[in-house]
Amino acid sequence: MATENLPETAPQLPSFVRSTQYAEDAQLKTDEMIINMGPQHPATHGVLRLLLTLDGEIVRHTEPVVGHLHRAQEWQAQNRTWYQYQALIDRVDYLSGMFTSWALARTCEELDGLKIPKRAEYLRVIMSEMNRITSHLLWLGTYLIDLGAMFGFPFYPFRDREKLLDLLEAVSGQRMMFNYIRIGGVQSNPPLGWFDKLKEFVDTFPSCIDDYEAIVTENPIFLKRTKGVGVMSKELAMSYGVTGPCLRASGVPFDLRKDRPYSVYPEIDFKVISLTGQGDDTWARYICRVAELRESNEIIRQCIEKIPGGTTEELRKKREECKACGKADCANCGGDLAIMVKKQNSGIRIKAGEGFVPVESPRGVLGTYITSNGTDKAARIAWRNPSFSNLSVLPELLVGAPIADIMSVFGSIDVILPDVDR
Amino acid sequence: MTTSIASVPKSSASVTSTGPGNWVEVAKFIRLCAIWIGLIFGPVWMVSWGVGELIPYLLIQSVAQSPEGLAQVQPLVDTLQFFVPLLAVMIFIPINAMFMVLCERRGLALFTVRKGPNRVGFDGLAQTFADALKLLFKEDITPKGADILLFTLAPIVFFAPSIFGAVPLLSAVTYNHPLFLTCNLPTGIFYVLAMGSIPVVALVMAGWSSNNKYSLVGGLRSAAQAISYEIPLVLSLITVCFLMGTLNVADIGANQSVHRGTDELKRLEAVQSVPPQFVFVKNPETPEAPKSAGILHWNMLGNVPFHLSEPQIAGATESGESSTSRLLAGLALALCSIALLGIYMTGACAEINRIPFDLPEAESELVSGYNTEYSGIKFAIFFLAEFTNLFIVSTVATVMFLGGGSSPIPGLLDPYFFQQVFYGIGSVLGNLGLNTGIWTILGTVPLLGGLLSWIGSVLVNLGLNPGILTFFGSINPVTILGTMLNPVTFSGWLWVVAKVYGFVFLAILVRGTLPRFRIDQLLNFGWKRLIPISLILFLVVTFLKEIIRV
Repeated sequence: MATENLPETAPQLPSFVRSTQYAEDAQLKTDEMIINMGPQHPATHGVLRLLLTLDGEIVRHTEPVVGHLHRAQEWQAQNRTWYQYQALIDRVDYLSGMFTSWALARTCEELDGLKIPKRAEYLRVIMSEMNRITSHLLWLGTYLIDLGAMFGFPFYPFRDREKLLDLLEAVSGQRMMFNYIRIGGVQSNPPLGWFDKLKEFVDTFPSCIDDYEAIVTENPIFLKRTKGVGVMSKELAMSYGVTGPCLRASGVPFDLRKDRPYSVYPEIDFKVISLTGQGDDTWARYICRVAELRESNEIIRQCIEKIPGGTTEELRKKREECKACGKADCANCGGDLAIMVKKQNSGIRIKAGEGFVPVESPRGVLGTYITSNGTDKAARIAWRNPSFSNLSVLPELLVGAPIADIMSVFGSIDVILPDVDR
Repeated sequence: MTTSIASVPKSSASVTSTGPGNWVEVAKFIRLCAIWIGLIFGPVWMVSWGVGELIPYLLIQSVAQSPEGLAQVQPLVDTLQFFVPLLAVMIFIPINAMFMVLCERRGLALFTVRKGPNRVGFDGLAQTFADALKLLFKEDITPKGADILLFTLAPIVFFAPSIFGAVPLLSAVTYNHPLFLTCNLPTGIFYVLAMGSIPVVALVMAGWSSNNKYSLVGGLRSAAQAISYEIPLVLSLITVCFLMGTLNVADIGANQSVHRGTDELKRLEAVQSVPPQFVFVKNPETPEAPKSAGILHWNMLGNVPFHLSEPQIAGATESGESSTSRLLAGLALALCSIALLGIYMTGACAEINRIPFDLPEAESELVSGYNTEYSGIKFAIFFLAEFTNLFIVSTVATVMFLGGGSSPIPGLLDPYFFQQVFYGIGSVLGNLGLNTGIWTILGTVPLLGGLLSWIGSVLVNLGLNPGILTFFGSINPVTILGTMLNPVTFSGWLWVVAKVYGFVFLAILVRGTLPRFRIDQLLNFGWKRLIPISLILFLVVTFLKEIIRV
C-alpha cells in the first residue's frame, strides 16, 4: 500500500496540504475482508475451505483448511484385513483409483517378495495409463469450468472420458472404484473384444486432443487468464515437495516412471514431459497435462502390442490346448501369462517388515509406507499423497492474486480433496 | 487363475462421435424453436388483435348507423387501443423468457454433445413451464441480517426497466403500426438506454442487501462493469443516431428499410394504415408497398454506399468532389459501421452480464454473485429479467444496425411481396365467393360453419333479435382477417424474429465457447480499448458523413 512507502515523519508542509495528504492516505487504505471460500463453494472441487484475506479483490493471505473429508483411511487399515483394505483405498483418490491400488500392491509385493507376471504388469500399465487419461480429461473439463467456460468445452473431454470409463467398467465392473490391481496381480483378464475397442480408442484419441487444443490452447481469453498466473518457480515447487505435472511444468523432469523405473515401464518408449522456460505458470501446467495425454495414449498403444499372450481372444485360443488348467507351471496359464500369483481371500498375509514404494500418479508421487507384522492386518499405514503436498504450495501462489485467479491457480494444481484429507 | 471371459457390453465405447445423431438433434432444436415462437407470438398477436382491432371494429360496426353511438363508443375504443402495447409486452416477456431459457439449454446441449432437457412435456418442450412453476412455489427465504426492503425491491428494480425499456422498440419493429403509435417516443433510443442502465442499481442493491460477501463483491463488480461498458455501448449507438439524424427508433428502423429521399417511406406508412377491407382487396387508392431496400441500406454497412448510385442523392450534391472519393468514403463508413456493431455487441454482452463478461455472477468465483441469497419467486424474477435483457439488447441491435424488419434482399419476403401475396389470397377468396359474409367463410370449416348457419337460421325463423343478425351480417370476414394482417407488419415481424433470435443464438454460441475474463482484464479492455476506439469511430464517421453529405 501507499502508506508503507511514506517516511515515518511526514515532512512539514502547510497545514491544508498535510491534511489533504493524510485524507488521501486514509482513503487509500481499505479494510481487509476475510472471506470463507468453501467448504460449500461450488468451485473448490469438493470440501476445501480457503480462508482468504482480501483487500478489495486482491488476495493478501490464504489459509487452506483441510480435513473436512477426513475418513481415517490410515486408521482403517489397522482394522481391516488386507483383502478388505485394498477394496477401500480406491476411494483415497477417486479419480485415479488404479494408482492408489497400485501403490498399496507394490509395497505389499515388495515386502512379500512376490514377482508379478509380465502380463499382469502390462495390464496394470494399460489400466493405469487409461486411468491417467481419464483423470487428466476430467481435470481439463473442470479447469475450463473454473475459468468460466461453464457450458461449452467441458463436455468434450467428458465425452471421451466416458469411452474409457466404459472400457474400465467392462474389465473391472466399476467405473471409478475399480479394485482391479490386487496384491499379487490383477483381478481379471479383459473380456472378449476389449482390446479391439481399446485400440479403436487409442487410434482416435489423438484427434480428440487436437480438437481440445484447437478450442483452448490459443484462445485469447484462455491465454489471458492463464499466462503469467500462478507462477511456481522450480525452487518453490521443490521446496514444497510438489510432484507430478505441476513440478514438471516448472522445469523439473522428475517422473518415477523414468527416474525409478518400475513395472514394465523400462520396456516402453515414452518421454517425460518437462517444460522449461514456458513461464512455470498455469498455462504451462495445462500444456504439460495435455502433452501427457498424448504420451499415455502412446504407452497404451505400445502395451497393446507388447503384452505377453496378446489379446484375450489369442490367449483363449492358446488355452484351448491345456483346457485352461490354471496350473502355475503351464506355459499358457502360468509364467508370464498368469495374472495373479497370490491367492485372493480374506486371509491374505503380508510378511513382516516395513517399506515405501511409490508410483507416479496423475497428480504426482503417490505411495504408502507400510508397517506389517505378518498378520492379516497392517500394523500401521501412512500415505504420501501428492494432492496434499501440491496443495501446500497454494498460499504462496495466491499472494497478490485477484479473486478470479484463485480458481485458475487452484484448478491448475489439480487437487483431489479425498486425496488431501484421506 | 480362471479368466473371466465375457464380451464387452454393446453400449460401451462407441468411438465414432459424429454422425447422423447430431442432425436429429438439430432438427429437434429447430422444431422446438418453431413451436415456441408460435407459442410466444400466437397469444401476443391474438391479444393485440383482439383488444386493439377486433373489439373496436365490432363496437364501431355495431353502432355504425348512429353518429351518437359512435361518439359514445369512441372513448372505449381509444382506451382499449391505449392498453394494447402494455398487454402485448406483459404477455410477451414471460413466455419469451421461458422460451429463451429452453432455447439456451437445448442450444448449449447441441454444442456440447448432449441431449438437453427432453423429459418434461413433449420432448422437453414444457421444461421451462415446469421450472417456472417450481420457482413460484418454492419458499422465499430472506437471509438473516438482510436489508429486507432493498432485498425485496432489488428484483423489481431489476425487472421493471426492462419492460418499460422495451416499449419504444415495439413501434420500431412494427414499422409504426397504428396500434403501437403511443410507444413511439421522440427520444426513442435515449429512453431505451436510460432504462437499460437502471438495472445496475438493482444489482448493487441486491449485492449489498443480501448480507453476503460474495453477493457484495458481485454487486460491486457489476457496478464497475456497467460503468465501463455503458460508455462504448452508448457511443456506438450515438454514432448511429448521428448518422441517421434522429433518435427515434421507429424512424431509424424505417430509414433502413426503404431508399431515403424518396416517397417510399410515405407509401410504407400508407400501406401500414390501409383500411382492413383493402388488405386483401386491391384498392386503387392504396399505393403499392415499396420493396425493401436491402442489406446495403442497413446501418451495419453504413447505410450509404447504395445511395451513391441513386440519382436523387447523386444529383443533390453538386460539389466539386469526385464520386470516387465519395465511394471510398462510403466504403470506409461501411467498415466503421461494422466495427460499431462489434463494439455494440461487446458492450451489450457486458451490460447484460453474459459470458465472457458474466463476472457479477461468476459461478466459479463468487458462488452465484449478487443473486446468491435469492430463492423462489425473487430469483425467478432475476432470471426472467436477465433473459429479457438479452432479448432487448438483441432487439436494439436489430433496429439500430440490422435494418429492423427489412429484408436483406429487395423483393424477398418484404412488404411488396406480401402485399402481392395478400391480394392473391383475396382474389382467390373473392373468386370462390367467400367474402360475402361471416357465414360463408366459416362455412369453409364444415362443422362450425354448419352449426353457425343453423343457429342463424333458427334465430331468423324465430325473429328473435334482428339486431344481432345485422350486427354479425355487417362483418366481412376478409375485413376481419385484414385487421389481423397487413403486409408491412407481417414482413417486419418475420424479419425481426429472424434477426433477434439470430442474435440470441449467437449469444448462446458465445456462451458455449468462451471462458470468462478477469475483472481487471475486463476493465482494461473496456477503458483502454473499446472507449478510445468508439470515440475515434465517432469522429471518423462524422467526417465521412460530411464528405458524403447524405
